Amino acid sequence: MEDTSVFLLCLTASSGVPLYCRSKGSNRQLTFSVIGSLNGVHMFANNQDVLLTSTRTENSRVVWRTFHDSINLIVMSCENTASDLSLNKLLENVFNAMVLVIGLDDLVNIKNVERLKKDLRACYKLIDGFLTESEKMADLTQCVDCIITHDVTILQECLDGFTQAAESDFGCLMAGGKVVTATEKWWRLASQDVMLLCWLVASLSSHSSRDYPVYLPQGSPTVPHRLLTFQLVSGVDVCILCGPSPSLQKVESELVERFWKPVVDPLKACLRVQLRSFPASIPLHRGIMGLLLVNRDLNKTLYTVQVHPLEDMHRTELKFTLDQRRAALRSFYTLALSHYLIPDNVDEKTIPCEEMFASGFSHHAHQCYTVSSSHKCYALKTELHLLFLVFKPEVPTFSMSTIANKTLQVFTKDFPF
Amino acid sequence: MSAPRPGSLITPDWLLSPEGRDYLTCILRKRKRRTFGLIERPVLPPQLPADVASYKIFVTGKSGVGKTSLVAKLCGLEVPTMHHETTACFPYLPGIQTSCVYWPAHPRHSDRPIIFAFQFWDCGESALKKFDHILPACKEKADAVLFLFSFTDRSSFEDVPALISRTLSQEENVARVVIGTKLDQFMHTDVTEQDIRDFQQTWQVPVMRVRSVNAPRLSDGRSLDGRTELADAAPVLNGLAEVLWHRDQITAGLVDIREGEISSNAS
Repeated sequence: MEDTSVFLLCLTASSGVPLYCRSKGSNRQLTFSVIGSLNGVHMFANNQDVLLTSTRTENSRVVWRTFHDSINLIVMSCENTASDLSLNKLLENVFNAMVLVIGLDDLVNIKNVERLKKDLRACYKLIDGFLTESEKMADLTQCVDCIITHDVTILQECLDGFTQAAESDFGCLMAGGKVVTATEKWWRLASQDVMLLCWLVASLSSHSSRDYPVYLPQGSPTVPHRLLTFQLVSGVDVCILCGPSPSLQKVESELVERFWKPVVDPLKACLRVQLRSFPASIPLHRGIMGLLLVNRDLNKTLYTVQVHPLEDMHRTELKFTLDQRRAALRSFYTLALSHYLIPDNVDEKTIPCEEMFASGFSHHAHQCYTVSSSHKCYALKTELHLLFLVFKPEVPTFSMSTIANKTLQVFTKDFPF
Repeated sequence: MSAPRPGSLITPDWLLSPEGRDYLTCILRKRKRRTFGLIERPVLPPQLPADVASYKIFVTGKSGVGKTSLVAKLCGLEVPTMHHETTACFPYLPGIQTSCVYWPAHPRHSDRPIIFAFQFWDCGESALKKFDHILPACKEKADAVLFLFSFTDRSSFEDVPALISRTLSQEENVARVVIGTKLDQFMHTDVTEQDIRDFQQTWQVPVMRVRSVNAPRLSDGRSLDGRTELADAAPVLNGLAEVLWHRDQITAGLVDIREGEISSNAS
């Protein structure tokens, strides 16, 4: 098996009928016997009152999850950055994506398997996005990816007015698949729901407008709401979550131009920050290659591996490629969260700490770092934020803490995030 | 409402004429079709008149018949080519999506060109059945409905009259157009030219045909060649412009309906 392939299987829990199979990095399909064995071993364990959660071989990892005693998801990953935490997140995301499009009722009470299979095709694009995504972090952090722009105040005003005029409290403005700004109430939706809605909009091909029925996996898994999206300029969409009224036609013809035409320039400016996720005028230390900042209150993240885009562009061959930076940041995030920086509100559902390190102490770690020959990583936890940085290897280890604190200051004082 | 004879109201190759060239460049950039957000418009040199006429067009038809593909084709986007009737080219659409196409055209007997803004409303078949609000939303203030059938699926063609009556009542003042898709797969054609002629005769609804193939790619290997792709889409876009222009003229009382009938009989 290729060393980057990932296979995702979905079966009914009661009868083991395969509903779909998606994969990444492989042209081969899993044979029916392999699918049968993977499901069979889980079922066998289940019959012996044993819950099989994961296993690993020399080059791959398998994770099983059953959702609502109705849907089995199995993932087999050969990526060396895969961990139980990341694969469990993947399965949760995939199941939530299914709920978003189909609704929980039809997934828990499966009446017609063939019908369900057909309906599930509507989720493929969203699910494939979770398997292959490279520009976002929200799948791992469960906090929506955002950007910072200069004109956010004026855009926020337009968004609030527009959302209100459309008889809704939930509005969000997105550029290049990331959130520019959202209404107060939108931020108060469950973080997974916010993440998933934005992920959905980002995964769809460009259209003038949309009216999609959506089920919010946390907020409203059985009663659908309507997600309206409007493409203001190419790459910038405004989204509204609403009930039965108003109609798409009405919002589009009466409100879109009225509220957004005056701010066409600030809207286009949103697209300029994309690679960096924040304006070039925000100064960051030269030694930083990648940054991930999580706002723990609003559940939003700022993420980039092109901290100095201009500098990167001039160099034809990057020493540490963007893909490697991304992988480094992802695996460091996973490591830090599963070993050291334990989230405060751990519920039973989350995976227990992998190492006994944390449980051996009465206090929690607030900072941690790793050092390797190709890069260094540093993490910092405060009341409101989590900050993860990937450094060039030449940055002295003792200076990482200072740089991290200074970086955090930039995003708390000068450009609050 | 009778249909105008193709080419009788709109000059077919006007965009390629010297006069039309400026209008062509406002929808093509570097041989690629431009896309416009909802608050954007095609930009013309100031001396050129640019009247925009907007129309809402609802696209309907049996699942898998190629609704989303047709809209993609008219927008100048790539159409996945999968020759299986059973698998939809596009992922199943869980709701409504709309796409806007700007199409400059020159109506005969008019002194200035018009930019037709067609907004196509496309919705998934299963969403239509599952949620009550979808059909009324698509029909609200619609100017035309396109009823699609596939040349490779006879049942979809035979279902068209029922589809029309399911979607619209007789008195609704909406232009009706039938479009046959997948004309390129002539080896598998289930519907003959005679069938189409009989249909037009019986139902007095214009029938258009599209091939579901892509234009050649540009040298970047990704985007489609805008000029070829436009030439492919032009007959349908001109046809729609003609039907809707004609309808506007009748509504405004500028055309005697009987006159229209005579011209369509002559065809």
